[in-house]
Amino acid sequence: MNLLHKERDLARGYSEFAYAPVPTRMTKIIRKNWIWQAYRFIRLNIKIIRIVAFGHS
Amino acid sequence: MAKIVVIGAGISGHTVSSYLQHYLGKKHEIVVVSPNKNFQWVPSNIWVGVGRMKPKDIYFPLAPLYKKWNIDFKRALAKSIHPDGGEGFDKGYITIEYVTDEDKGKVEKVDYDFLVNATGPALRFDKTEGLGPHNGTSVSVCSYDHAAHAWEKLQESMEKMKQGIKQNIVIGIGHPGATCQGAAFEYVLNVYFEIKRKKLLDYADITWITNEYQLGDFAMGGAYIKYGGYITPTKVFTESFLAERGIHWIKQAGVQKIDKKTIYYEKLDGTYHELKYDFSMLIPAFSGPGIKAFGKDGEDITSKLFKPNGFMIVDADYTPKPFEEWKASDWPSKYQHPEYANIFAPGIAFAPPHTISKPHKSPNGTSITPAPPRTGMPSGVTGKIVAQNIRDWIKTGKPVMKHKASMAKMGAACIVSAGYGLTNGIAATMTVYPIVPDWEKYPDYGRSIKYTMGEPGLAGHWLKWFMHYMFLHKAKGYPFWYLLPE
Repeated sequence: MNLLHKERDLARGYSEFAYAPVPTRMTKIIRKNWIWQAYRFIRLNIKIIRIVAFGHS
Repeated sequence: MAKIVVIGAGISGHTVSSYLQHYLGKKHEIVVVSPNKNFQWVPSNIWVGVGRMKPKDIYFPLAPLYKKWNIDFKRALAKSIHPDGGEGFDKGYITIEYVTDEDKGKVEKVDYDFLVNATGPALRFDKTEGLGPHNGTSVSVCSYDHAAHAWEKLQESMEKMKQGIKQNIVIGIGHPGATCQGAAFEYVLNVYFEIKRKKLLDYADITWITNEYQLGDFAMGGAYIKYGGYITPTKVFTESFLAERGIHWIKQAGVQKIDKKTIYYEKLDGTYHELKYDFSMLIPAFSGPGIKAFGKDGEDITSKLFKPNGFMIVDADYTPKPFEEWKASDWPSKYQHPEYANIFAPGIAFAPPHTISKPHKSPNGTSITPAPPRTGMPSGVTGKIVAQNIRDWIKTGKPVMKHKASMAKMGAACIVSAGYGLTNGIAATMTVYPIVPDWEKYPDYGRSIKYTMGEPGLAGHWLKWFMHYMFLHKAKGYPFWYLLPE
């Protein structure tokens, strides 16, 4: 375990980084899930292309 | 036949010259002036800095491509602009000084009908005592050779960790007014990833140091995004990324000095602090490259063309006003000099009307405020519209100027890589629309919530990988390059 993670447990509620949300195990699994991420890859590409297209005339 | 001179061959300058040769063919003369012999895809420097790519993977030589495109490539530094002509020239000209071995120091005057100043930034390591890889003790990832040097130093640190020697790793912003927080943030996450991959985390204490008022400001005043069922500030998103990895952070910090072992910084509350380090990557301040300007009779008119920071004056509203009165319409849309209509400055070269982040000063009078970012997508988009406007002007004989791209109407995607690998990689994909908040159009959050988002995942890493190859394909002028977006 990272030293800071230990410190985080001790300092909970007192140090600033103790207030940041951390992902659950399920969130981490979804972030690496091929099927979901392939879908997000397509959606993100579409979104970025739209942003570029809107950005200039 | 018109003659267009482009100063700079980075993302913006190369975009301008690529599209101009595509639009105009060989009927008009295009000259590119740059001291660099290679084009580099700067966003991938991060991967060079952690040994995932070699410098040769992210650059290619410009001379063969420009020869094929019939572009006259002069490897030289631009020294001065003479927009009114003089000394035998009845139109504007620039003076350049060659940097190649055979012509080193040779000075030449190059006249123009249209001038595009797309120089990018000068890296001002000298603005922070002891900063930088050349005369200082920190490393940088601002260019591929800097990034390769950073990787060497990081390996030395990791070797010490393997011997059980704990290392303080400090990554962030090396000047109270510097920008490029996204790149530094990306580097800290990648360094963490590599240290974790080598199972050395117990021997590393990693700290993110930044001049941002809040994490997630990214020199854009932060943003609001849809995330986990809430509309939440990027502060939460960014802090979560660091907390998940056990990376400390220090915000509101203006680094003032660095020596072999210690970083000295001032906080926004006026207190002074010291931070010990073993490996440090800190982004320097940027400025314009210091090009001078002279009138017809040789009088110095630099202040007419450039702001004191060396960036070029364009069609922005530079009237000084308080933060509360800043408007989206202050930002330029044509990147054209207001007096010399045939001079343009896309990309980093233009002087922003003000910062995007709210300015803050410490009680000691130190401004600790990030400068506005103009790298990546804005550099490409502004370069393209400048090329389109010059093309229309040449073809119609009139300054039509119908192509516009204000940063207050333009979006940007920032893909913050946090690890490398087809199945193991991760990146935070962040989009903002527009880059500069428009509180009149979007009174709730300053930006479109539909198109402003942040999402960590493997898809982001694939996207960054895909963009690396796509943009190098485009820059190399491979088939159908002009169909690819900026």
